[in-house]
Amino acid sequence: MPTRPPLLHIENLTTSFHTNDTVVQAVRGVNLHVNQAETLAIVGESGCGKSVTALSILRLISMPPGRFDSGQIKFNNQDLLSLSEAEMQKVRGNDISMIFQEPMTSLNPIFTIGDQIGEAIIQHQSATGAEARKQTLELLQKVLIPSPETRIDQYPHELSGGMKQRVMIAIAIACRPALLIADEPTTALDVTIQDQILSLLSSLKKDSEMSILLITHNLGIVAQFADRVNVMYSGKIVEEASVDSLFENPMHPYTRGLLNSLPKDDSESKLESISGAVPHPAFLPEGCAFHPRCKDAMPRCQQQPPLTNATKENTHKVACWLYEEGGEGL
Amino acid sequence: MTTLISIRSLKKYFPIHEGFLSKNTKTVKAVDGVSLDIDRGEILGLVGESGCGKTTLGRMSINLIKPTSGEIFFDGVDILKLDNPGLKALRPKMQIIFQDPFGSLNPRFTVERIIGEAMMVHGLAERSNLRSKVTEIMQKVGLPNSFMNRYPHEFSGGQRQRIGIARALSLHPRYLVCDEPVSALDVSIQAQIINLLQELQEKENISILFISHDLNVVKHLSHRTAVMYLGQIVETAPTKILNKNAAHPYTRALLAAKPSTNPKESSDHVPLSGDVPSPLNPPAGCHFHTRCPEASDRCKTEQPTPFQLEERHTVQCHLYN
Repeated sequence: MPTRPPLLHIENLTTSFHTNDTVVQAVRGVNLHVNQAETLAIVGESGCGKSVTALSILRLISMPPGRFDSGQIKFNNQDLLSLSEAEMQKVRGNDISMIFQEPMTSLNPIFTIGDQIGEAIIQHQSATGAEARKQTLELLQKVLIPSPETRIDQYPHELSGGMKQRVMIAIAIACRPALLIADEPTTALDVTIQDQILSLLSSLKKDSEMSILLITHNLGIVAQFADRVNVMYSGKIVEEASVDSLFENPMHPYTRGLLNSLPKDDSESKLESISGAVPHPAFLPEGCAFHPRCKDAMPRCQQQPPLTNATKENTHKVACWLYEEGGEGL
Repeated sequence: MTTLISIRSLKKYFPIHEGFLSKNTKTVKAVDGVSLDIDRGEILGLVGESGCGKTTLGRMSINLIKPTSGEIFFDGVDILKLDNPGLKALRPKMQIIFQDPFGSLNPRFTVERIIGEAMMVHGLAERSNLRSKVTEIMQKVGLPNSFMNRYPHEFSGGQRQRIGIARALSLHPRYLVCDEPVSALDVSIQAQIINLLQELQEKENISILFISHDLNVVKHLSHRTAVMYLGQIVETAPTKILNKNAAHPYTRALLAAKPSTNPKESSDHVPLSGDVPSPLNPPAGCHFHTRCPEASDRCKTEQPTPFQLEERHTVQCHLYN
């Protein structure tokens, strides 16, 4: 796909939150892109800024206290940060849509699911009520909800968690978006239901040209579902690679630590863990934010390493001094 | 190895009152006839999806919830027949670590009081030597001494879970229920806590009931695994055997549903259809037959009984009986 320009291109995005006594930079100069028909995963632990990145794309950050300090979010070569609120409203749910972590609280309890799916269709495609209902039924079939004719008139409390997440997906794909942002779409679900939702998303992806930005902390989901991965730590991308390359040859000490701390299939030995905890975003260490926890930290880590190519093929980037010119890596 | 905990046909039914003057009463069969043994020094993993009754079973096993019927033996003593003083004497030997490290610590207590209170109650420490005893336990779980006078809100999730572990271990328990102790934690912190639990278990030879929905964690940690579905144990086996030769269709589906962290190992399995049925109204026969790819007519009417496939491997399914 190198001939086509990326669908989404985020350049040097910084999102911060201002309170009375502190400024928290949740996203600190992030560059990333999502190609057409590609699934990009952002992985990281809680508080690393992955959700704020996603919410920034749709400008769902409440301002104040939030603020975009710098950067551009180019979607189809148009900077979303420069759009007016009315123009942005046309993008949301139409060109870019989002599914959230908690299907239980993301649906409005006082409207039927038919109303909630139809709303997106009426809003963006100026369809009549009857047309919207017809399309809604098709969508419910598409997301494999059994007996859609009854379900369409039910309220969210009558549905299980997995069903609600299917409804959320139906709302999200109602207007055939070019980009779907999925923020921890299965974290609140049981493993067999997670399996159902992921297989549904895979088949939807196959049937359309939709790109997906998947935000998760589950490395298993990344391995099975994504094409490319960005690893985030304390508001910065520390490693970017194709899925195969990342799992085969993780470079950043943080990525290595994450992969090593997963329980393995064959091991009886101790898990390797990363010592310490994620730093508080208001009190980040100087330079590379990971260096206080890093086994390979050196004096140079007091300065921020840039995200640079680590292979000749330009498919694997890492932000670590170990791989800077002259560095030998691990 | 000898048995420490022995659970026999344990049931817990929760009544649900509905309608005018609570006329209609339904029951949720949270735990419906479970028998289970835990050996000395054994880690038994208990897996299942939300609402299957694993937490209720764990809490009943240390008498935090009174069962509807059944028996629980701790070292040969039926703990349900004990009077209050007898139960109090036994309490230090059975402890629990909770899932939520944020909700399970009293926000108005210092770490010293959280860890030390139970020791004072049970006479394992005096006011004079409390501080040194608490210090000793904090060292054991990797908490620096300087945390002693601080309050729970000052700590991260992983540190709080260490405080919870310290509190449970302060009484030198012989049986510990760990109810999803790592599911609220990030991956890198999870590994720290799992290692800590493993270390302490080996050192003190504690028996652990490790409740989790994360099969990877259970696989890593537990010697034996029990799989629960809608209030019943459907399969029990040594963890290695369970992972290689899972017999029950539900266990197999659970194992297949777990996404592999190897991108080359793509699975082309068919996901299990449907949802877990409501425990208010579980299906007749085998509770799993509504979702089971191998269900036959017999499964719809007749409830399977536990069947021993080989030594220590029991399955509750008509396919094998």
